[in-house]
Amino acid sequence: MKAVELRGISKRFGDVVALDNVDFSVEVGEVHGLLGENGAGKTTLMNILYGLYKPDSGKIFIMGEEVKISSPLDSIKLGIGMIHQISTLVPEFTVIENIVLGDKSLGTFKFDVKLARKKVKELADSIGFELPFDKKVKELPPGVKQKTEIVRALYREAKILILDEPTAYLVGDEFDQLLKAINILKEKGVTIIFITHKIREVFQACDRVTVLKGGRVQGSLDVRKASEDELVSLMFEGQKIEVTDSALPKMVLEDVEKTKSPILKMINVSTNVPNLKNLKNVNLEVYGGEILGIAGISGHGQKLLTEVVVNPNLLHSGDILINGESTKEKSTVDILKSGVFFTPEDRVLEGSLPTASIYKNIFLGHHREERFLKGKSVVVWRKVRSVSRELIKLFKVKTPNEVIEIRKLSGGNMQKVIFARAFLNPIDLLVTHNPTAGLDMASVKFVFEKLLEMRKSRKAVLYINEDLDELMAVSDRIAVIRNGQIVKVFQREEFNKREIGKYMAGVVE
Amino acid sequence: MNALDEIVRSIVTYMPIYTLSGLGIVIGGRAGIFNISGEGAMMAAASAGYLSAVFMGNWYVGFLISMVMGALFGLLLEFLHEEMKVNQFIAGIALVIFGTGLSDFIYKLVVGIKFYIPDAPPTPEIRIMPDIPILSAFFNQNIVVYFTYISVIVAYYIMYKTRIGIEHRAVGEDPRAADVVGINVKLVRYLATIIGSAFIGAAGGYLPLVITGTYTPGIASGRGFIAVGIAIFASWRPERTFLGAILFATIEAIALQMQVSEIGVPYQFLLMLPFISLLLVMALFKGKIEHPSSLGKPYSRE
Amino acid sequence: MMFWEKSKPYIWAIGISFLAIGVLVWILGYSPLEAFKTLLFKPFSSKFQLTATTLKFIPLLLSTYAFSIPFILKNFNIGASGQMLVGGTVVAIVGLSFESHPISPWILVPLLLLVAAVSGGLFALIAGYLKVKFGVDVVISTIMLNFVGFYLASFVATTPPWKAPLTGHPMTKELPKWALLPTMGDLHIGIFIVIGIAVLVHYVMTKTVFGYEVEAIGHNPRASEIHGIHIDRIVLMTLFIGGAMAGLAGGIEVMGVHKRLLEGFNITSGADFGTFGSLTALMVEGNTIAIPIVAYLVAALLNGADSMQRTMMLPVELVFLIQAAMVLLIVSFRGKFKE
Repeated sequence: MKAVELRGISKRFGDVVALDNVDFSVEVGEVHGLLGENGAGKTTLMNILYGLYKPDSGKIFIMGEEVKISSPLDSIKLGIGMIHQISTLVPEFTVIENIVLGDKSLGTFKFDVKLARKKVKELADSIGFELPFDKKVKELPPGVKQKTEIVRALYREAKILILDEPTAYLVGDEFDQLLKAINILKEKGVTIIFITHKIREVFQACDRVTVLKGGRVQGSLDVRKASEDELVSLMFEGQKIEVTDSALPKMVLEDVEKTKSPILKMINVSTNVPNLKNLKNVNLEVYGGEILGIAGISGHGQKLLTEVVVNPNLLHSGDILINGESTKEKSTVDILKSGVFFTPEDRVLEGSLPTASIYKNIFLGHHREERFLKGKSVVVWRKVRSVSRELIKLFKVKTPNEVIEIRKLSGGNMQKVIFARAFLNPIDLLVTHNPTAGLDMASVKFVFEKLLEMRKSRKAVLYINEDLDELMAVSDRIAVIRNGQIVKVFQREEFNKREIGKYMAGVVE
Repeated sequence: MNALDEIVRSIVTYMPIYTLSGLGIVIGGRAGIFNISGEGAMMAAASAGYLSAVFMGNWYVGFLISMVMGALFGLLLEFLHEEMKVNQFIAGIALVIFGTGLSDFIYKLVVGIKFYIPDAPPTPEIRIMPDIPILSAFFNQNIVVYFTYISVIVAYYIMYKTRIGIEHRAVGEDPRAADVVGINVKLVRYLATIIGSAFIGAAGGYLPLVITGTYTPGIASGRGFIAVGIAIFASWRPERTFLGAILFATIEAIALQMQVSEIGVPYQFLLMLPFISLLLVMALFKGKIEHPSSLGKPYSRE
Repeated sequence: MMFWEKSKPYIWAIGISFLAIGVLVWILGYSPLEAFKTLLFKPFSSKFQLTATTLKFIPLLLSTYAFSIPFILKNFNIGASGQMLVGGTVVAIVGLSFESHPISPWILVPLLLLVAAVSGGLFALIAGYLKVKFGVDVVISTIMLNFVGFYLASFVATTPPWKAPLTGHPMTKELPKWALLPTMGDLHIGIFIVIGIAVLVHYVMTKTVFGYEVEAIGHNPRASEIHGIHIDRIVLMTLFIGGAMAGLAGGIEVMGVHKRLLEGFNITSGADFGTFGSLTALMVEGNTIAIPIVAYLVAALLNGADSMQRTMMLPVELVFLIQAAMVLLIVSFRGKFKE
């Protein structure tokens, strides 16, 4: 019996076709993988099933009966639960409040939580999860938040569970705990849809898998009978790129002679910014000719690590030397003129001016460079536009011109522009945070190639990435950051996901 | 003794203006809607409430109509924001202007020809206790004062002790999280804004029906905006709004008293007091103010 | 093609608004045709009318800038009223202090205009400081300061030594001749000042680094900040400029139109210039070429409303209401058409 059947689902967002006549079905009690690279349409498809999006056409069947799902309330009533990539818990509320939120049976003019608490404890215990019921969600690490969301779905009696890229923020043992929980739920007859872009996870967790590419179904296979190559060719049909089991391009790191002295040197750097995880006595060196990767669970100081290099105002104590010179008395604009550039964690939210033209976006960070100005204050827009056109050509950005609003570009192209901006002038040091987040594989390859280019020209890259696979793909060394401190540095020969994960999770001190 | 009693009496009499309007803004704000249309809503409600009370000869009708007028402004605000995608501040300011203009316009049309402006019917009062000094000032008052006490208590209880309260607050903190668990975000926002605005309307109606006995153009005199300030530095909590309202009612009562007793300060500077005080208070409280995280932000699924 | 697409929301909004005026006027028993004639055509019908419109246009344009420049950074400077009152009040005080000391107008007039602008700017800076240091939203603080400004002006207009003797309406004594704006017929030189400012604003906003930084912050404050733009500094500067514009308007009105500080000098056609300025700014969405044109048209509309009240006895608040409704329609249609 099919627990879920989607027939002929299509969806466009404006001019962009996200899903094109997708047929997708899942048997009761199986773990079904939904595999595809970033942008393939997996989340969109499941958001339709969960009632957050309305399809332009197509039908949905649950347990063989056709249904109309127009809001999450409908899907919850049908026994569907979804755990999104980014947490959908209310940060200000406690774990227990979040789990029972939306349950109308708790009364209207009262709030009978006592009975509910018992039920929740039993549910959590049954899948081996331990949750701090009365802690506010905003104080919890991503792994615990995810467990909370799973228990929340089960509390609403979900029989069909959708997990969207569940391993993105998991570290060390957490993945095993998740697999164990999935197996227990399977035994109880729960159907699970497991969205991922990492091929090896399909083999670790799934019974069957459907591959999505460019909004179309490429095929469905029984995992036990499938091979990695089959899945790769379905995911990347037509693209001749060698791929790892996490669907990343296989990159080769040539031998490069490092520079004698480091291009970036951080000495006892500490910060003191409210509401952020601060750095404590960080010592780091990045030489020319190497890519230093920074591994860590989200929220352990990565943001400040990126920002303090280009904004010395954030320095509370310690010093930062770039090419031997201290940055202490410099302004951000000065530093960006001296051979350093950066790309922020969220290229769209923190790096772009969405309703401005492409060339005005490229100008950001370069807006006080003498070559674009007449005198000190007047902008020569002609020059800015011609330089922008060159950059667009060099980075092969798909756009009719440099004048249109940047948000009119596709997500991947928009991110390309923001990434390209860092390379407007020749640089000695690139600081980049999650440069490949959300990019399709061809774009990931492009970014990796640019990083390796810098490395080959004996320049330095400080590469921060919360995805360990992406980090290990191109780093020479990996330093683990935890609670604002560097706790261990691994050489490339020593790279081991489990080991690094242990330091990230604080299991080893 | 007598003077003190007088002052406490004034404070309690002025308190509902700020409490009801502040409470109305808090109710909307807890669903994420930053309602700054209060000044306009209050004036329109004052005008409508006064006129209907006079023409129907009934105080209750007037007070009810003022609440309905307030609710209409709330409906309009949320409609503009939710369906027409107008920024909450812009819609709020436009409604202030609209409400101010509307109230003067209606008033001029209906009454303008006559030179004699009738008084509103008198307000019902309730006397609970004998004339104990000070305490009786709180409990021998017009009925709106009791309405206010009850409203604050009920609002607090519903918001923090009931299921619908936690859903209401969830929408204000994180509408996406609320949507994902099946809460009807749009409905909550509409209801909260409309009900909240009804309270603002009540505050507006209170002015001509209870305080002055008649309607004058510009009757709100900035109190609709002070109410916004009170909601902010009360961290959007009903009980703190009540305290903030008492503070501003006190300032207003003192300013009035000083004017009447002709202390050497020019009256203009006394009238400035509430506005300067609000700014000082907000600056002083800066670190300790919280607000619902989605306040002012629109929500859409796609 | 793109121009047509862009003007659709405006055409709809204006069309519906005028339809509403017509219907409303008709319900009230007046002739819609006559109302439209008075509202739209009368202001352009004679030299006298054009002068009247221009005299309204001058403070209106400045009030529009007062709102629109801080608005690029999403700060709502609703305080143009108070800033204008402060500008006018300070000019009255300083101007009257030269009562018995004749001095060349070539020196005094520019000095007074500067004083008007600076005092308006500093008054707005209070709100800026509260925002930057204490996080108090500009909407609240500028509204509060409006009342403070109003009472300050009221105080000066009713207190010796400035108060005009023997009058009922609050006003100061008339300013000395050497403190007044030179005139050409019925028009004062304010028009040249304002044209110069319009050109300057357009240039600075579109061709300088400062203009770019303001625009960037408006798009995305976080991205701007981490790429080296000093948000606090620029917030303060835009508020100062906005306040200076409104303060200057106050000075011009006092020195050129009323020749004294007069309670209510900042009010026109049913509401104050600050209100009409913010409504006009919201209609235009920051296009520095369109602002002066639209401001002139709004000034004409206000002039027409005055005529309408005079000749047809329709309350002048009608236009005030219609403009508010028009703004709402424009903003909503702009949003809807963008989708």
